[in-house]
Amino acid sequence: MDTLVARYTHPAFESEGYSSADDQQAAQDLAPPSLSLNFALPPIASTASWLRAMTDDHSNPNCPIKIAHGTTTLAFRFKGGIIVATDSRATAGNWIASQTVKKVIEINSHLLGTMAGGAADCQYWLAYLGMQCRLHELRHKRRISVAAASKILANLVYSYKGMGLSMGTMCAGVTPTEGPALYYIDSDGTRLSGNLFCVGSGQTFAYGVLDAEYSYDMEDEVALELGRRSILAATHRDAYSGGFINLYHVKEEGWLLGNEAHEGRVLKRLGEAGGDVWSSVACAMDQHQHRERMG
Amino acid sequence: MADRYSFSLTTFSPSGKLVQIEYALNAVNQGVTSLGIKAANGIVLATEKKSSSPLIDSSSSSKISLITPNIGMVYSGMGPDYRVLVDKARKVSHTGYKRIYNEYPPTRILVQDVARVMQEATQSGGVRPYGVSLLVAGYDEGIEPEEAKKEGAAGEEGGMEVDEEQKKKKSGKTGGILKGGPSLYQVDPSGSYFPWKATAIGKSATSAKTFLEKRYTEGLELEDAVHIALLTLKETIEGEMNGDTVEIGIVGPPADHLLGYEGVEGAQGPRFRTLSPSEIEDYLTNL
Amino acid sequence: MSNPFSINGGACVAMAGKNCVAIACDLRLGLQALTVSNNFPKIFPYGSSTYLGLTGLATDVSTVSELFRYKVNMYRLREERDISPQTFAHLVSSSLYEKRFGPWFVGPVVAGINEKSGEPFICGYVYSSSQDVYVKLTCLANDSFDSIGCIDYAKDFIVSGTASDQLFGTCEGLWEPDLEPEDLFETISQALLNAVDRDALSGWGAHVYVIEKDKVTKRLLKGRQD
Repeated sequence: MDTLVARYTHPAFESEGYSSADDQQAAQDLAPPSLSLNFALPPIASTASWLRAMTDDHSNPNCPIKIAHGTTTLAFRFKGGIIVATDSRATAGNWIASQTVKKVIEINSHLLGTMAGGAADCQYWLAYLGMQCRLHELRHKRRISVAAASKILANLVYSYKGMGLSMGTMCAGVTPTEGPALYYIDSDGTRLSGNLFCVGSGQTFAYGVLDAEYSYDMEDEVALELGRRSILAATHRDAYSGGFINLYHVKEEGWLLGNEAHEGRVLKRLGEAGGDVWSSVACAMDQHQHRERMG
Repeated sequence: MADRYSFSLTTFSPSGKLVQIEYALNAVNQGVTSLGIKAANGIVLATEKKSSSPLIDSSSSSKISLITPNIGMVYSGMGPDYRVLVDKARKVSHTGYKRIYNEYPPTRILVQDVARVMQEATQSGGVRPYGVSLLVAGYDEGIEPEEAKKEGAAGEEGGMEVDEEQKKKKSGKTGGILKGGPSLYQVDPSGSYFPWKATAIGKSATSAKTFLEKRYTEGLELEDAVHIALLTLKETIEGEMNGDTVEIGIVGPPADHLLGYEGVEGAQGPRFRTLSPSEIEDYLTNL
Repeated sequence: MSNPFSINGGACVAMAGKNCVAIACDLRLGLQALTVSNNFPKIFPYGSSTYLGLTGLATDVSTVSELFRYKVNMYRLREERDISPQTFAHLVSSSLYEKRFGPWFVGPVVAGINEKSGEPFICGYVYSSSQDVYVKLTCLANDSFDSIGCIDYAKDFIVSGTASDQLFGTCEGLWEPDLEPEDLFETISQALLNAVDRDALSGWGAHVYVIEKDKVTKRLLKGRQD
């Protein structure tokens, strides 16, 4: 019975994107290989539980595959549009794999996506989303709405539910129909719209600052500074967040890199709020008397 | 009257004495005389080896014992009590020191440990004090007196350093264990101990000490100290003096030939060793 | 992440130079990802030129450092002298082995200069497995390994803590023989800062001690605060 079921039923993802007939056609035409959504699966009974066993370092700290997922990302709506801010650290376990990751993905001139969770999952599927958005544009001769774009992503990850995708992303954009719109999508399939989201291991710290100071009627400069300070707080307290702050401002005419990013590709290095905080080399040669407790 | 306060060790007599300890001292004062002399570069311990019968095989018994490679011990008083103390001293120098620090205890630490054992026997129920006095001779690695002086001078020149740099404080203590070199201690049944330049215990301790006072000079060489030790012993000894009736232990330069191996850099032989009868005979002929 | 060695995070390194040694630690105290404090030094003095660095479980770092404070104070009172780094190293060793079947979750590093010989001295403690060989082959260095007293003497450097892999890398790259105190300071500082910048659980500033025969220089390094 199981074999019969297996022969005539297919998981949703197999029919996503190109059909197998398309694939065969493409192979016959000897066209350059296209973006295929037919993933090679490990030759085992339950891919989902296997992947979980390999990657879940909460239940097994010695799991062989460490998915990079320490992050702080945030986005909030305000009267001047949407601010999107992220840190730039990628970790694998406690190892800092990179301090210069771009966690904001520019889907198109009016749409931004953020990355939290598995770096590869986010990068791949947001690129895929960018492709779908462009196809939508070509087919319909107008830009896709943020609602629709986020729905494409949400449906996509839902079709892979239980397979071990790890994503927590936000889609932020401004369209003539919606105005500034912000959606949260995660790999469980959740899709929420809202004014303010923080995602990642440092989200609580960012929420702390953001919730305390947030107001919809902020000026642009205030909003940018708030985004920056929220990420700064998270990078300070969260071991898995750090590096540089990437700031974006999404407006009707499209997104802009935050002011600091304009000054040089790299944002100023982080420090404690309010001052020249640190330098990487020795300073402060504090004299120190060792008080011996005895004698 | 005294008997009323002598049955229990933990009972003071009205005059403030613990008479059992005094009786233990009496036992010591009836014992065979032993003496020790500290020289500039070592120490000599000497005693008479008495045999109650000419049939005794004296070559296979000894009264001077090695405790650690650099520390040796001799006694006056009760032989069996001494053997127990030697065992305890050897054991405590390992369990209480070498197993912790991977080095042997300095002489004073060992002396304190042995003295503690002896003191406990004056304050515990169901035991009697040890009927021995000990002479403990040892050599400590450490800063020797001449070196210590140099160190002090160097320290003062450096007194003008920038204040960011913390000057290390030299220990103000110059005595005790910071000072390396030879040291000689006497331990009594009460558990009290005294450092000596030269001393004697046992039957003829008083006369021997008077003799040593006359003969002892500062900066003595080890060879001269052995010489004086034999002369002192000669005053008090009853029978014939030869390699079998006299026992000598010395703390001197490292005896690398006793190491059992060679070629290991930094390995040092024991400083304490007992002299063989033939070595003693050599000294006696030169007396 | 229930490994006690990586709950609080932290790193320590010691290096030998020419007639000098240096020992340095980071300042972070965390609870897994959460940084609780950035002023938690992990180096403790036990005499004029004997220093101990302790990484690992913070509660054990505090307790063990105080335990050695007690033991060394008793030593000093009894013997009327400072403990030498070599003797202290063995004291640490025997004290760790005393807890063979319920170890302290610490990675100690000893650094100092022998007052008598003037020789620099550094050592660490080998992580040993109380489990079988199979566990040994399948685990990372300090995953199920405890420091229970086997002394690891070194002529160059000793590393310890959650950034130890990184420290091995920076030290192998930067250390060279016979460094003078100032150069040794620069070397150990760069080795530590660059190592902890690649470890999520270490950093947030550093302390560096440079120990010479008759002076000790302590410096506070500012580091990345993320």
